[in-house]
Amino acid sequence: MREYFNHVKAIVWKDCVTELKTWELFSTMFVFALLVIIIFIFSINLSIVNSYDVGPGILWVAFIFAGTIGLNRSFMLEKENGCLQGLMLTPADRTALYFGKMISNMVFLILMEAMILPLFMIFFNVDLVSHLGPLLIVIFLGTLGFCALGTLLSSLSSHLKTREIMLPILLYPLLVPVVIGCVRMTGEILAGKALATQLKWIGSTACFDIIYIGVSLLTIDHILEE
Amino acid sequence: MNEDNESGPPILIWFTVLMFIAAISAIFMYVPTEKTEGIIQRIMYFHIPCAWLAFFAFFIVFVCSILFLWKKDREWDIYAHASAEIGVVFCSLVLITGPLWAKPVWGTWWVWDARLTSTLVLWLIYIAYLMLRMRTDAGSMRARYAAVVGIAGFLDIPIIHFSVLWWRTFHPKPKMITSEGIGTGMANEMVITLGISLFAFTLLYFLMMEQRIALEKMKDEIDRLKREKLYSN
Amino acid sequence: MNHLGYLFAANLFVWGAIFFYVFTLIKKNNQLKQDLQLIKETLPKDSES
Repeated sequence: MREYFNHVKAIVWKDCVTELKTWELFSTMFVFALLVIIIFIFSINLSIVNSYDVGPGILWVAFIFAGTIGLNRSFMLEKENGCLQGLMLTPADRTALYFGKMISNMVFLILMEAMILPLFMIFFNVDLVSHLGPLLIVIFLGTLGFCALGTLLSSLSSHLKTREIMLPILLYPLLVPVVIGCVRMTGEILAGKALATQLKWIGSTACFDIIYIGVSLLTIDHILEE
Repeated sequence: MNEDNESGPPILIWFTVLMFIAAISAIFMYVPTEKTEGIIQRIMYFHIPCAWLAFFAFFIVFVCSILFLWKKDREWDIYAHASAEIGVVFCSLVLITGPLWAKPVWGTWWVWDARLTSTLVLWLIYIAYLMLRMRTDAGSMRARYAAVVGIAGFLDIPIIHFSVLWWRTFHPKPKMITSEGIGTGMANEMVITLGISLFAFTLLYFLMMEQRIALEKMKDEIDRLKREKLYSN
Repeated sequence: MNHLGYLFAANLFVWGAIFFYVFTLIKKNNQLKQDLQLIKETLPKDSES
């Protein structure tokens, strides 16, 4: 068990070190998310529309679009120099590989989200600070679901010729419940309601997280098989 | 196997044709016209069987995908592929007949109602599944990837269903046939007609499956022969 | 209560789609059958020569 954790830790560490050298993934995701938000601000009129109504949706669209770029990139980097082959040759379990990639994806995504949130607060003139605790729980649950399913599908699509196109096409329809749940929860929290009133959404998002981590653990052997 | 196919389809074909004649005559002559919705309500006898078949077909995809990953037998991959394609055909029909019914009854083509939305998302999932199959070269990789997506897609259905249902709780429930309303709110003749129609469509599904599976097997056979020829030279 | 047009359109779509799908299946099946026959006929000759 200890060895297993070490394997996971090694993969996460490897990704973090690579990222620290180039900042390529993080900077791309951040700028992209920012662009998405700005495009949405241009496309809606904030003086007419209540920013508390449209804000959560735009925030999550930005997270998910930028996250998709991150997912695409993370496995592409592995493929480029035959690194994935090397990883699969190591004695580490395939599920450890999955967990490692998932956690490193999540770390980058959460970092990006942490940078986007203050900007979102300023642009939309929304008060996040007073609801920060529940908001972070919601963002964590949503990001976990996104990364659980996203890592599985990006490990799958990285072997395809048309990987950049196939990943969003496969990922977005499956992600619908998480998007609905997280946008709804974020909206209610920003409106000042307690997280406890959103139990069914927490439940459905947590169910999604658990189901897809489970599916990934059971099927990752069949994807990373050569 | 070949002898089976020679004698198998004709009976199934004739039986399906017979059932469809029965279903159509029931839909257009036997069943009384619904009072509030009028003649348009007869679309329902196509719409519900199509929806049932789409779900049934996607369930078969799920089962075959699991069996494929377990047994690694090409047979299950073929079944999953055939079923997904037929499911998408019927799911598209649901999405076309639904608005055609909704326009005169509700007054709009599309309402973001729970059932409509989840059917649309389902359709998108399996379109993606078929696209994945189209864009990947034949072989064990394609089968494995498709199986994973088939499993992940089907497990999403209950979560999608509930989240879309809660998403639209504030809207008044439109008057439509719900799962508990099929038996209770309908006259006997309607239930019988719907039953005949469901049965006819289910037969059609098996007929299509048979053809689709035979097609895929023949493709395999041709590939195998071609490869044999290539390597023997 | 005259929505005959909609009913007609729905029927058109349902039957059109089903028949189109079934006919493409049958057509492809027949074509593949012919191909298979052709390959089977040519193969033994090649291997003999």
